[in-house]
Amino acid sequence: MKKIKLPGQVLKLLSDNSIREDAIIAASSTDMNTEGEYADGYVVLTMNKLAIITSPPDPVEIHSFKGYISKNSIPERPRDWAIRIFENDRLASLKCEPLVACSELVATLKDEAEPAKDGKKADDSEGTDDSKGTGERGTPLSLTAFTNLHRESMHRLARSFDKIKNPVPEGEREEEEEEDDFCPVCGMMYPDKNRKICPKCMDRKSVFRRTLAYFKPYAGYIAVMLLCYIAMAVMNLVWPYLNGTVLYDYVLAKNEGFLVKLGIENGRYVTALIMVVGGMLIARLMLLLIQMLQGVLTARIVTGVVRDIKKSIFANMGRLSISFFRSRQTGGLMTRALSDAERVTGFFIDGMPYVFINGMMTIATIVVMFMMKWQMAVIAIVMIPAAVMIGYYLRPRIWSMYGHRHRSERSVNSQVNDNLTGARVVKAFGQEKREIERFRHNNERLRDSEMAIVSFQNYFRLIYGGTFQILNMLVWMVGVYFILVRNEMELGILITFTGYVGQLQGPINFFSFLFHWWADSMNSAQRIFEILDAQPEVREKDDPVRLTDPVGHIELKNVNFGYEINKPVLKDISLDIPAGSMLGIVGRSGAGKTTLVNLISRLYDVNEGEILFDGVNIKDIAFKDLRRNVAMVSQETYIFMGTVAENIAYANREASREEIINAAKLASAHEFIMRMPDGYDTMIGSSGRELSGGEKQRISIARAILANPKVLILDEATASVDTETEREIQHSVAYLVKGRTTISIAHRLSTLRDADFLVVIDHGEITEKGTDSELAALKGTYYKLMELQTKALAMRGIE
Amino acid sequence: MGYGKGFHGEEKEFDLEEMEKETEEMLKIRYLNSDNADFKRTEGGFVSLKIGDENYERVHVVRMFPFTDPEHYISIRTPDENSKEIGIIKDFKDVSADTRKMLEEQMNLRYFTPIITKIINIKDEYGYAYFDVVTDRGACRFTINIGGSAVVHLSDTRILISDIDENRFEIPDIMKLTVGERKKLDLFL
Repeated sequence: MKKIKLPGQVLKLLSDNSIREDAIIAASSTDMNTEGEYADGYVVLTMNKLAIITSPPDPVEIHSFKGYISKNSIPERPRDWAIRIFENDRLASLKCEPLVACSELVATLKDEAEPAKDGKKADDSEGTDDSKGTGERGTPLSLTAFTNLHRESMHRLARSFDKIKNPVPEGEREEEEEEDDFCPVCGMMYPDKNRKICPKCMDRKSVFRRTLAYFKPYAGYIAVMLLCYIAMAVMNLVWPYLNGTVLYDYVLAKNEGFLVKLGIENGRYVTALIMVVGGMLIARLMLLLIQMLQGVLTARIVTGVVRDIKKSIFANMGRLSISFFRSRQTGGLMTRALSDAERVTGFFIDGMPYVFINGMMTIATIVVMFMMKWQMAVIAIVMIPAAVMIGYYLRPRIWSMYGHRHRSERSVNSQVNDNLTGARVVKAFGQEKREIERFRHNNERLRDSEMAIVSFQNYFRLIYGGTFQILNMLVWMVGVYFILVRNEMELGILITFTGYVGQLQGPINFFSFLFHWWADSMNSAQRIFEILDAQPEVREKDDPVRLTDPVGHIELKNVNFGYEINKPVLKDISLDIPAGSMLGIVGRSGAGKTTLVNLISRLYDVNEGEILFDGVNIKDIAFKDLRRNVAMVSQETYIFMGTVAENIAYANREASREEIINAAKLASAHEFIMRMPDGYDTMIGSSGRELSGGEKQRISIARAILANPKVLILDEATASVDTETEREIQHSVAYLVKGRTTISIAHRLSTLRDADFLVVIDHGEITEKGTDSELAALKGTYYKLMELQTKALAMRGIE
Repeated sequence: MGYGKGFHGEEKEFDLEEMEKETEEMLKIRYLNSDNADFKRTEGGFVSLKIGDENYERVHVVRMFPFTDPEHYISIRTPDENSKEIGIIKDFKDVSADTRKMLEEQMNLRYFTPIITKIINIKDEYGYAYFDVVTDRGACRFTINIGGSAVVHLSDTRILISDIDENRFEIPDIMKLTVGERKKLDLFL
């Protein structure tokens, strides 16, 4: 049991009240009082006492929640602590009652004679006149309150209290393993327990490095691409020289030495001109070719990397447990899988390679410029640091703009998704206009956020472009001054020089935009890794047990489960379902029936207790074996795009045609399948033929028959078919259950008449258990339900 | 459906009439006011209710429209897990000032939501945003998951923020924040 560290002051207060530190079974911090204010406190439980320690609200205290809480920071601020102590014997129950966004700790005091006097300090341990224990009922007592931060530890404390009250036999007690919730590096509590990644320690650099890994398979291409860039850089350096110095100063200025160098006869300047121009032409052509090659390579790399990223996102989504999808919008996940993958590559393709090239280019250009005329070079580069700094400082702004766009995109995607799935309802209520309006609104927001980014970038360009024009002019002016006034320089040099200045503009522009690309790309990468890092809650054991010859004996032992920690859905369920028998589960909607079968097929893991398959804990069984041996036909039918035959053979792709037909026959599906024009080859699913609820259901049943599992779960499998079809299906089900363990959930009791035994679940507990006639004799819920249904049927004149 | 435990304890015999009565009761709305309902504070820190010969030693006080109409339509419910409605207070004017006060005390805790008055800093990192704010209940630091639905727009200017543990924080009117603060929040608007 994890224990929290208590401050010295509190320990002293406890020992003053004769509670020794080593007697403490469980303790939890609290951070609210029952008036609804933040106030620190503790709840401490020993074998026979419960201590509630409170303090008055502290207005200067900073209240830290998950993400800010460090393992190392245990507050030891002196406080005016108050303590209330209760004898456990006098408390009938201790419960965490969830409120809207916090919880309250409530005890029921057995004896109504003398409830605790509020706020009394210290040694006021309750008098022990426990003469008349009035059983379970008593005075409810609001002890203290706490935010959701302490929900789990307080819950554990309440459970410890229950264990004191109802001791579990030693052998059955399951040791709860305490997960390490803290980052080992900085000691911060992980924001998400399922994703053991500390966002503080996980900086963007590693996001960057991880993204880089996706480019690794393309290293060869990338190397060629880099060569292209270098070639382009060299070309760019040569160009102003050809264009300026060579053309003006050597050829047009009729420099004889130059002709000698080229090996041309004296005076033939036209030949020299043709050669120079030809050289320039070839240089340009080569540049074009290199650019083309580079374009092709880029396309190859980008599409490859995007494909790989999408593949891994999709694969990981498939690996994740159902709970991951419960808490996220489909539209948001779609955005991640689709557009984010493409954005990630932006920086790497448009940015990364140029970092070196442009860096080298800039340095080389600056060096050349300084060599030519340092005074002019100074003027030309004076703005560079400023430009880069501006880009760097505006980085957070652009980062948030990209985040904004993502959100807008997500809401557009979500709405399209909602509307397409809910098209029937939208039409039925004639709300098309409103939906269009809603879409327009979202769509406009997306446009606005996109526009904001573009106009921000334009604004950037304007500043840079303007600055460069001014600089260019300054260089010209200074150059002209050098030529005309001081006679120190020639025209060709000036033209070459301004060529270099112009060439600087590209890299500088690039470096200022680099931050934008970086932001966009990392922003997307971060979201992608969020999915890739998510750990499935339900995990296969490293060394799983293989089922060699399963018989299908299912046993549940004291199973407790809740989707959220303080809202138990199943409480202490124990069941033994012998191999080959059929169990019927009855209960009102929301009682926990579906949850129970979800646990058996291990879509979720139990919180406490265990589920055994042939005596092996299902947590230890290989996924493959478990899934093969447990099949479910549920209310939700999943028909994917494909032919009827493919849909039936979903779980057993090797099935022969004969087996498929056989399964369809047994599921009473054969007839309706044959009434469709293309028979078993009819395309069904999202773009194919529309099937009715009952038809889909029968295909699901056929699928289950073909899967041939040892354990079959029917979760309202016949709920969406009419009574007549149900009778037909009943026959198929009767065949289906033969020789396997069947767990059947049904509202309609007639469905369950073949069950060997039945359980009634109410509010997560088994309230009745037995055969049909035993339950009828009990005259409880089952009896009521039975009467109600036969009467209802009788009224309609059916039965 | 009306099977299961009824209002008045466990009845074993099946009685269709009884069940239909129950169902009908469930369909009806019972309004509570100072004439028919007698609310009292309990020593344990809760509120009890007496309506005619019905006695509830503890009730839950729940808003039907906690965001859009917190002052009206208050549902008074039984405190057990399978909570049922006892009655509705349509308007606080229908009960005495003292009753109103004790019910509000109960709701104070139930709807505990610090109001953010000042945003010191918001830092976003790797899918999470770290908030450093001042609320009406003191300075708070909390973290939200950016990917989920942590920030809910209750109206164009009112937002509700839930941290990773689903602790709630509210900004009733973002226009009352300074431009700088809004800019920090911009990512979520």
